Amino acid sequence: MGLLEEMKTMGISVDEALVDRFMRNASLYERMLKKFPAMIKDLTVQPDFDGNDYTDIIEKAHAIKGATGNLSIDPLYKPYTEIVNLLREGKPEEAREVLKKVLPVQDEIVQCIEKYM
Amino acid sequence: MEIETTQKETILIVDDIEINRAVLTEIFKEDYQTIEACNGVEALEIINGENDISAVLLDLLMPELNGLGVLKAMNESGKIESIPVFLITAADSREMLQEGYDLGAIDVITKPFMMHFLKCRVNNVIELYRHRNKLESIVAEQVKRLNEMNQSMVETLATIVEFRDCESGEHVKRISSLTRALMAEVSQMYPEYSMPKSEIEKVAMSSVLHDVGKISIPDQILNKPGRLTNEEFEIMKQHTTLGSEMLQKISNIMEDGIYNYSYDICRHHHERWDGRGYPDGLSGDDISIWAQVVSVADVYDALTAERVYKKAFSHEKAVDMINNGECGMFNPKVLKAFENVIKKEEKKHSSV
Repeated sequence: MGLLEEMKTMGISVDEALVDRFMRNASLYERMLKKFPAMIKDLTVQPDFDGNDYTDIIEKAHAIKGATGNLSIDPLYKPYTEIVNLLREGKPEEAREVLKKVLPVQDEIVQCIEKYM
Repeated sequence: MEIETTQKETILIVDDIEINRAVLTEIFKEDYQTIEACNGVEALEIINGENDISAVLLDLLMPELNGLGVLKAMNESGKIESIPVFLITAADSREMLQEGYDLGAIDVITKPFMMHFLKCRVNNVIELYRHRNKLESIVAEQVKRLNEMNQSMVETLATIVEFRDCESGEHVKRISSLTRALMAEVSQMYPEYSMPKSEIEKVAMSSVLHDVGKISIPDQILNKPGRLTNEEFEIMKQHTTLGSEMLQKISNIMEDGIYNYSYDICRHHHERWDGRGYPDGLSGDDISIWAQVVSVADVYDALTAERVYKKAFSHEKAVDMINNGECGMFNPKVLKAFENVIKKEEKKHSSV
């Protein structure tokens, strides 16, 4: 099983990404996916963030949301969208709970991509 | 900063996330040259540099300088007028988007990108701007040519009159130059006479036509070496009304501003502050400030130049005669401005 096939099994909308953003160019899409682990390491958001000042967390979560949206990594895109919205609404505790749930999924996806690098 | 070189139009992609930049580059690289910037500061360096940018795809949230900061800087430099900016957003706050639009962003691109629609929107806007910029440069060129034609027409008319008047052509140049300086001084000294520089330029250009009516005055009167009889002087005075009528007949080929100023100056540059001038006997500020200014400039130049009927007076004597009312009454404010202009000129000459 190749990277894209494995991504599909993890809930990533590979076909949508290929049609909407990567001109049906599978190798280009794979190249972009392989940039994801490095990006996420730079932007890691931990659940122990400060509940009073989380501007930096909003920016990081927002950046992850944008990139995962473009890569069609829905299992991360949807939770990070929720995290950004909750933080903007001033609900850091609820955002923290969503973050705790998404981090293992994120690790799993990153590890999967790294296997093919 | 990564630049892919081809001879295509250039799109600047500004996003702090490499993946987003890479996706946009892939989408546009077939049709455009793409330049990438990873923050607002880098983007502005490129926008303000030598590159001819056709469109900017601009992320809102970025380190160093965000998208709104880039838009503000583009407003300050005026670049926003000629370069379309698309905001890239992952559904940011309504306030930010509103501010982005208020700052001149042309459209919003939401993440995740939809390649087909994105290409269509960007292509359409670039095409629109290309046409608009081309039309603007054509219009600017035409306006420039029109202004040049206006100027040469005005100068030609003035020169013809000068030849008939046995002048060298220098008289109108001096009048124009003194009018410009005097108008600027009056405008600066008195708020009620304040005028933008562009209008002062038009007044200066129009002033050369002040004596255009002399073309219809018979030679024996216009160039008579001695004093004019009362009858001759009455004919001579008609150069103001005849000149303004001539200008009225050619008004369709003159730019409106130049026509209005030159008509007024031509008709009223012999009016006097106390109402004892001609042809309409206007007094005080019923005489436009530009006609008042040209009156002083004309009298000063007439006094200091040699004419068929008189020798040239010295600068000091001419100034005295104007201030003493020997050449008719002038607006004291214009005379004060005239004094300042003369002082500045003297200072300039003494420092040389």
